[in-house]
Amino acid sequence: MASAEEYALAMNTQVPLPATVQFAPDYPIVTERLALRPFSRGDVDAVYSYRSREDVSEYLFDQPMTHEECAEAVRARAGQIAFSNEGDKIVLAVERRDDARLIGEVSLIWRSVSDLQGEIGYIFHPDAHGHGYASEASRALLAFGFEVMGLHRVYARCDALNGGSERVMQRLGMRKEAHFREHAQFKGRWDEELIYAILEGEWFAPATSR
Amino acid sequence: MTTDLTLKTDRLTLRTFERSDLDDVLSYYSLPEVQRYLDWKARDKSEATTAFEAMRRQKRLTRPGEILTLGMVRKLDGAVMGHVSLRWTDATAGQGEIRFAVAPVYRRHGYCREAVSAVMDLAFNEYRLHRIFAVTAGDNEASARLLRALGMRLEAHYREHALFQGEWDEELHFAILSREWKRSEKIHELARHKVA
Repeated sequence: MASAEEYALAMNTQVPLPATVQFAPDYPIVTERLALRPFSRGDVDAVYSYRSREDVSEYLFDQPMTHEECAEAVRARAGQIAFSNEGDKIVLAVERRDDARLIGEVSLIWRSVSDLQGEIGYIFHPDAHGHGYASEASRALLAFGFEVMGLHRVYARCDALNGGSERVMQRLGMRKEAHFREHAQFKGRWDEELIYAILEGEWFAPATSR
Repeated sequence: MTTDLTLKTDRLTLRTFERSDLDDVLSYYSLPEVQRYLDWKARDKSEATTAFEAMRRQKRLTRPGEILTLGMVRKLDGAVMGHVSLRWTDATAGQGEIRFAVAPVYRRHGYCREAVSAVMDLAFNEYRLHRIFAVTAGDNEASARLLRALGMRLEAHYREHALFQGEWDEELHFAILSREWKRSEKIHELARHKVA
């Protein structure tokens, strides 16, 4: 496999960005096994292959999506690639470098400009679970958030029943900060939500298990 | 016609604010050590008066988003010592948030606990809420102690989630479910006075 630098150079996609943009990664963001890049029109089938599934939507606010809804989502995401203002979100397609398969998506939201807060999220095809892809891709977004945007704290949320997602947050070195019990109704049942977070100081601390 | 709510406990009458309570409320509301933990900042008398006027209008919960604020009045001498607010945050999930403030001179006598406990009874018994939560600053140990003493569980501890006057802030969330709440026997009567 090509080195990360060679891969990034070969796949480099310069996208014109508005002048208001304060932070935008150089795409693709290349990790050991993955490439994170903006969504494009050709991704609809790949997105449909996981977002249409019951087991994927179970813990998401969305219901399983139709092909048409996936096409709309991909159109919207193609533009979510840079940060101009508070609340802006980047959503990136995650591709496996060895077979160029789109296996999921990761996101980073600029939650607070003045308080330097961010939130990450990830959704992966069940076929691709269990290989550490979600943590590898999310780690690249944490790196961007802390090292480029200068964020102070980044958090992530998941349903308390979603053990797979919780383990990703733990693997990223995040700490459990909240477990809200029966705090809302979600798809006809009581919702329990976990929040994990990591501080700048913890991100830059000498590597332990990360 | 409206109905105003009054709760009575051993030592307290909890009632909606009246115009004549203004000076008593201002005397604690604008103190820095009280202000530090209030959501509604009042830097001077005029802002504190605005806050009081808002609380005075918080007389009932008829729809989500509304707040009920009850003044904490000592039966013995009629002293207005503080207030407790209940905000109805979510109808489908029956959620409510409790807030309180008590004048420093009246602390350490259990008045606040007595008042908050009565409002929790009201929230669970009368309004049939499913869950009550409370949010405090990480360094507000007195509030955290009180909420724990009421049987509330620490559900969240956000570390350095916001800047407050140049310092990183911590935030605690406590909560209790209806089935976990031990009904107190302290409310002697739940009176509704008809007001023209």
